[in-house]
Amino acid sequence: MAQQTLSSAMPPTDIYGGDEVSALVLDPGYCQTRAGFAGEEMPKQVIPSFYGHIDGRDIFGDEVILPRANFEVRNYMNRDSVVEDWDGATKIWEHLLCKRLQPERPTPPSKNGLNIGDGDGDGDVSMEDASGGGAENSVGDLEKPLAENPVLMTEAPWNSAKAREKAIEICMESWGCPAFWLSRTPVLAAFAAGKATALVVDVGGANTSVTAIHDGTVLKRSIQRSPIGGLWLSNQIRSMWETSDPRVDLVPTFMVENKKPVEAGAPAEARLRNFPFPIAPSFRAFEEERVLTEFKESVVEVWRGPGRFQPNEDYAKSQPGRVFEMPDGSNQMWREQRYRVSEGMWDDTVAFDQHEGRVAKSQTIPGLIKAALDGVDVDLRPNLVGNIVVTGSTSLLNGFNDRLNQELTNMYPGLKIKIHAAGLTSERRFGAWIGGSILASLGTFHQMWISRKEYDENGAGIVEKRCK
Amino acid sequence: MTSHDLRDVLNLPSDHSSTPRPSKKQRTGPGRPNLKGLAREVQNLGGDNPIAIVPEVAVFKKRRVISRKPAARWELRPFTNSARGDGGALVLRHWRRKTDHDAPPDAMEEDGEPGPVENAADGERQVENSTIKTEDSTFAKFNVDISIPQYNDDQYRANLERSDWSKEETDYLLELVQDYDLRWPIIWDRYDYSPQTFPVNGEAVNGDSTAVVPVKGEQRSMEALKARYYEVATVMMSVQKPAQYMTGPEFQLYETMMKFDPLQEEARKEFALNTMARSKEEAREEESLLLEMKRILARTERFKEERRELYQRLDYPSTDVDINTYKTSTGLQSLLQNLMNVDKTKKRKSIMAPGEGVSPGTAVPPTAVSEAGPNRRESIAATGPSHRESISGTPVTPAEPTPKDTKKKGAAPAERRKLSEQEEQVYGVTHHDRLGSGPTFRYEKINKLYSHKSGQQQLRITNALGELDIPARLAMPTAAVTGQFEVLWSAVTALVDLRKVSDRLDADVKVEEHKKAERDRARGITNGGGDASSKDKSVRKDGAGLNGSAEKSDERRTESGMAETKPETRPRSQRSQHNDLQNGDGGIAAAEPKPGSGGPGEGANVDGAPAEVKEGPGAGEREKLGPRPSSSGAHKRSASVLSTISDKSAKRQKK
Repeated sequence: MAQQTLSSAMPPTDIYGGDEVSALVLDPGYCQTRAGFAGEEMPKQVIPSFYGHIDGRDIFGDEVILPRANFEVRNYMNRDSVVEDWDGATKIWEHLLCKRLQPERPTPPSKNGLNIGDGDGDGDVSMEDASGGGAENSVGDLEKPLAENPVLMTEAPWNSAKAREKAIEICMESWGCPAFWLSRTPVLAAFAAGKATALVVDVGGANTSVTAIHDGTVLKRSIQRSPIGGLWLSNQIRSMWETSDPRVDLVPTFMVENKKPVEAGAPAEARLRNFPFPIAPSFRAFEEERVLTEFKESVVEVWRGPGRFQPNEDYAKSQPGRVFEMPDGSNQMWREQRYRVSEGMWDDTVAFDQHEGRVAKSQTIPGLIKAALDGVDVDLRPNLVGNIVVTGSTSLLNGFNDRLNQELTNMYPGLKIKIHAAGLTSERRFGAWIGGSILASLGTFHQMWISRKEYDENGAGIVEKRCK
Repeated sequence: MTSHDLRDVLNLPSDHSSTPRPSKKQRTGPGRPNLKGLAREVQNLGGDNPIAIVPEVAVFKKRRVISRKPAARWELRPFTNSARGDGGALVLRHWRRKTDHDAPPDAMEEDGEPGPVENAADGERQVENSTIKTEDSTFAKFNVDISIPQYNDDQYRANLERSDWSKEETDYLLELVQDYDLRWPIIWDRYDYSPQTFPVNGEAVNGDSTAVVPVKGEQRSMEALKARYYEVATVMMSVQKPAQYMTGPEFQLYETMMKFDPLQEEARKEFALNTMARSKEEAREEESLLLEMKRILARTERFKEERRELYQRLDYPSTDVDINTYKTSTGLQSLLQNLMNVDKTKKRKSIMAPGEGVSPGTAVPPTAVSEAGPNRRESIAATGPSHRESISGTPVTPAEPTPKDTKKKGAAPAERRKLSEQEEQVYGVTHHDRLGSGPTFRYEKINKLYSHKSGQQQLRITNALGELDIPARLAMPTAAVTGQFEVLWSAVTALVDLRKVSDRLDADVKVEEHKKAERDRARGITNGGGDASSKDKSVRKDGAGLNGSAEKSDERRTESGMAETKPETRPRSQRSQHNDLQNGDGGIAAAEPKPGSGGPGEGANVDGAPAEVKEGPGAGEREKLGPRPSSSGAHKRSASVLSTISDKSAKRQKK
């Protein structure tokens, strides 16, 4: 009853402070790009940031990445999560925001082919007329597909000024957004956790970053990042498979035509598919990544103590293992190895050397946290350590939070340590997007937007001035 | 079978006539519901003892009230946000319930005041939008801005020039402060000032600029930034409004900013850093040490408490005293007498002395007790503790009637809550050594002061007070006023006493001079000069004066070496000599020069300190003069100086 009266009356601004203006939130990352409407709790669309390039045109979405001839998989970002390929970025973002989030626009009547007959016989002329007359409209429509929606975009905290200006340029010029805002992912992740001051530990796909947020602002001197993310972990697994005896072959799923069940440790009995065209290595790598992701999700675990992994390896061997079946049917029990692959995140000496797997001590997660805290004022440190927000998909590894807590307790024995990690998988994966959704739907945020007028007056440089 | 049947079988009287439980029946009677049909039959099976059937009340969810009104209409309504400060250029749209066209102004007003400026700004848009006004966002009011100090070039040059801060950098700092709303961690984090003038200097001053750049380039600490900002803020605050005109909160802010001490802040941060860096063991050790300290403190507290209790107990009169003394009427009489004595003199402690005899309380010199007014209090206070010790040390004699009120006084406060000093002031609680029985007026206390003085002295004191425009009877004798008055009074008394002494000294000097003149005359030595007084008088003592004829000429000669004021003082000093004889107690020789301005209270109070210092030499002089009239000239001179001063003051008093 009460809910009904609430929803039918004015939205309860006094409680939530929300005021929806149908803003869109776009959260691009190296592995995935997320987009949705502000005020919702999950992004409506999540697609890989990898896109297909076939015969000179680009296709987007997870479902189109299939084995085809002349097919190549590209990513519009570099491993630092900074956009490199702006053409691809514009296209994929437009695909998300305009195609996937908006309803299909009806073709203008002049072009839908139904009205051809009403000319007086001279089809060509009327066609030209129609297209000529409709050109302005359609061009206007096409050029301003988001004229109604403010857009909030996220960026890595180390994003370059050039990339930021480019982002606002695309939004304002190509899409005609009425307003725009650029926000850094750790800030939004902290907002998603309900905190304005936090130490954000973001363990994502391509990077791991530790950033201190004070009152909703990134403290620049605290920004620390390292490559130990999901892809680094995949490479650790590759290294482990390559060095293990017998060697484990990584055969992606699309290669397998059929398979037979085999005993654990026995060689696979599977027939592989043959393609009449060469498979691009980028596509194969993308598919291999799927297998590795599955392995990470189901097998890999973080050693949560006692102590570190290395002195306790024998003890780890006695822990129950997990069986993983490869796409080709071969399967194996993984015991201490499943701790070993993730140990490099914490202990630089244990990591596998191949694939640039070994990072410096300061690049491990404890090292990052220490460096980040050293970069902020001493008065803030206790508060930050008491508000640690863990986000990012790779932080979903089993035992991650336990280990983090243990490491922090060793580092800062005198301080009160509190880790805030969302319990829901999706909240951990889309932390930054959710924070953006909250921010863009706040009534008090409307005064922050960079409006079209401000952009026209000041040019793209305004983003540096405003989105600090 | 019902109870009815049972009663029948047992031949008990029927229920209706049963008297023991009528009330119960009355109670149950009306409570039974009026049932119908089968339910009533079932109920009746129970007879008088109704079967406990919980009636089932079928309550279903209420039917939803479906309003016949058409569904509410919502519209995408444009709005602006005046907090943006861009004149309503950004028009966003949100869903709002559509109101009737009669009512829109109301709805808008309750939403927030429609900003007239914005409306004017995009007037064309309004016309297009079919006269729908754009409303202002409800959230605009949450926008707050801090105000930072403003200065112009002249003000900067006049007040804010510092060697280590250029104006550009100060501007930059204030800009950051404005941007980040005084959040210092962020300001420090983003502080990245690079002086732009550097390339302009060119190569000619290259060496110079490189010397400057590292200084500028090095990161300023947060404390340095804060210190500079607070400096600018305080200076500009006082420039705009001098400190004495500031309101309370303004001044408080001003003071807080003034007191900012970057060094202390840095030291504090270093401490914090060390605290954070300590290991778990250290932390634990510190914690245990703290705990230990707390325990020790608690133990000492308890120990003190116990000790006090013990003392109290020792203060009690022993209960096994022989009360036989009081059984006779004479014994009782003497006890009464004793008690009355206690009441009369109100000297709780010292009155016990005669009864005790052996107590060191008697060792208190009687002179101290009989001393003049103001010192009396102290002397009593001084005797107090010594006596207490004696009691704890010596067995208490049965005749001692004292400690009845002592124990009451001692026991009661232990239970009471201790008032803080501030509370005591608020409630007007004061502590006294002893209190008379019954209420007294404060001015009586002052009257009492006078009662110990002779009439002459009283008159003088009154004169002195009159000169200071202080009424003899205070108009508003509050505690503070009375206290100040006492201080003043004691100062005046001291002054009067001093004068008395000086007068006497004068007289002595004169007598000696007479004697000397006599002697000189007798010997016939007539060598003049001011050094006569410096010669040893004991040498000439043998020829103690006989001839008094040449008195006058010699007197004049000796006085030429002294102060010129002497002659005029003579008559009065003679009179004061008479006074001395009259009340010739061994009065204190507290020498005090006349308080310069003759101001009330405080002036006298300040001068009280030197008075005490001078007491020693004054007394010594008197002693020397007393038994040995032949004193050295130096003493004489100092005494005469004193006397002249006091004579002056006396003269002023007379005026």
